[in-house]
Amino acid sequence: MIENFLAGTATLFGDPFTIGIFVFGVLGGMLFGAIPGVSMLTLAAILLPFTADLSPAQGVMLFAVIYCTGTYGGAITAILFNIPGAPENAPTAFDGYPMTQKGMAGKAVGAAVLCSAIGGVASALVMMSATEPLAKWAIMNIGPPEIFALVFFGLAVASSVGGRTIWKGWLSVLLGLLIATIGQDPVGGINRFNFGYSDLAAGIAFVPAILGFFAVSEIFIQAEKNVSGKYTAPKFNVDFPSFFELWAHKIAVVRSIFVGFFCGILPGIGATLAAFMGYGEAVRWSKDKSEFGTGKLEGVISSETANNAATGAAMIPLLALGLPGGALTAMMVAVFQMHDLEPGPLVFYNSPDLIWVVFAAMFYANLSILFVGLIETKTILYLLKIPFQFLAPMILMLASIGAYISRGLVLDVVVMFLAGIIGFLLRRSGYSIPGIVLGLILGKIGEQNFAQGMQMVHYDLGTYFSRPICTILIIAGVLTLLKSLHSAFYQKPKVQ
Amino acid sequence: MGKLSRPDIFEAVFWLLIAVIFFAVSFSFNQPIEIYKFGATGWPRVILFLMALVSLGNFYYAYSKGSKAQEGRVGAKENEEPIKYTSAGQYFKTGMVLILPLVYALSLKPVGFYSGTPIFIALIMIAWGERRVRFILTNTILIYAILIGLFMIVLNAPLPQGNMSPFYDISAFMLKTKTQFDQMF
Repeated sequence: MIENFLAGTATLFGDPFTIGIFVFGVLGGMLFGAIPGVSMLTLAAILLPFTADLSPAQGVMLFAVIYCTGTYGGAITAILFNIPGAPENAPTAFDGYPMTQKGMAGKAVGAAVLCSAIGGVASALVMMSATEPLAKWAIMNIGPPEIFALVFFGLAVASSVGGRTIWKGWLSVLLGLLIATIGQDPVGGINRFNFGYSDLAAGIAFVPAILGFFAVSEIFIQAEKNVSGKYTAPKFNVDFPSFFELWAHKIAVVRSIFVGFFCGILPGIGATLAAFMGYGEAVRWSKDKSEFGTGKLEGVISSETANNAATGAAMIPLLALGLPGGALTAMMVAVFQMHDLEPGPLVFYNSPDLIWVVFAAMFYANLSILFVGLIETKTILYLLKIPFQFLAPMILMLASIGAYISRGLVLDVVVMFLAGIIGFLLRRSGYSIPGIVLGLILGKIGEQNFAQGMQMVHYDLGTYFSRPICTILIIAGVLTLLKSLHSAFYQKPKVQ
Repeated sequence: MGKLSRPDIFEAVFWLLIAVIFFAVSFSFNQPIEIYKFGATGWPRVILFLMALVSLGNFYYAYSKGSKAQEGRVGAKENEEPIKYTSAGQYFKTGMVLILPLVYALSLKPVGFYSGTPIFIALIMIAWGERRVRFILTNTILIYAILIGLFMIVLNAPLPQGNMSPFYDISAFMLKTKTQFDQMF
């Protein structure tokens, strides 16, 4: 492994052009992740056609680097403006934004930098040492029933965080699931709920929906505060967390690495669920759960460690099985296909150089988060000093371009602003935007795997319980739902 | 009426309406799929059934306990106190902020990005309550220049050009200028 890693490193840093692409990926991912309104997906969508002119290793490496650094970059906007750069940063905003409001933005961003780097490096190391055995394990043990069970568990966890009551949490997730059914059904390709619009046959693209629900609705919330004279600019602060503050959360970091890696390795799941589960587990194991959501450093740490820990793991199903774990990894499949390659088991034998350049690049990209991120953070915090009257139209415009570029459809911009209005109204009424988005992302994956699983077990649900991983996940999901149902009936509302 | 408020009733009606309307629409694609017993409607109908059920739970919760946040809910703090409107002017201003972007999006096809964007940027600043003419003009030009510089010149991103004269001609002129600019270097 070390020899291969060194060979990958030599290829990566032996050619000035490849170094240039690596540096561009690191800075581009961080920058686009950290600009409110656009995300790493916008950058990736713009760059996709250009990768045809690069070598396969350079193209895939560029996307892998953007994936690592962009996943971290999205935390910045989540923390500073309550606008997650990507869905995987949504739980980061739960505690990160309240920290900004309290004048602790520097601490939150500093923790995000460090924990993203730790999670990413740990994940890259495991990925390098164990991709092949883990891929074999996944082939043997993970099938549609397990993926459906994990989606079920993830949605149960998502409904328990965000939303003013558990009922509103569930309704949020169900709305996301319903939106995900728009478009063709995953088994028969029959058009559903397209209301006569042919553009809706492909479904609601989740980039515009996410931008609408997160970025646009947040702008509307701030606008409403501005109109009613209740807008207060976030407090500016560049104090980073001390070593001891971070050391106190070492268990949360280790736990989130495991959670993130496990979620990342499962095909189709990706970093979003990892972040929610990492956050959910932090809440579950905490002695004082009531502090979460009010600006607790552990919330930021858990979410950011888990989502970056999933980045390396997400490469395992992509490279070993050819199954993408999210939007960006799906674009990586397109990069492979542009160069007449197919990701899958054969790629390890046909293109080992490519694999090890990508592995080495991901390792160094995660390390770069630590060094470049710390320098970048000091600068990016000054975004808080820009008047929101300037920032708001800028964010709206960037979001419009981000929504349009991915498919070249004006409909996507309309969908984004509609999602913004719906998100604004739902947030005012106490519904959970992250819940809607997770439902939207996992809905299709859940349905597809449920259908495949049902066909596999000949519609005998009992067979699901003969599969240990599936059983554990379903029981965990049911227990989570029962616990929240119990609290819905027997817990008193907050006294204000 | 228990502890119900008007928004609680509105919310219940909203969710039930969604469930009923979507359920009715689901009959339009209720075709069997040979390889899948539950067909195309199975999954969405389960979601709609659960939505109706949970909305009733939500209604009952609001009836018995009011609409305050449940204790121990994580990430719900920001939504605890929605802003109360005291004048029609506030409704109008917020309405403008909500509607303007939608109007911009709908105008993208005929007007295009290049012509519509500066107007929208200025209007949204006005809707935000900004009244300093110099601030609006300077920042509109600055934001427009950043967007054009980044997406049109550096990243060469394809943006909507519009299909209505004179907007289409303006877009064509900008793209032609950009091509000439590229050829210079």
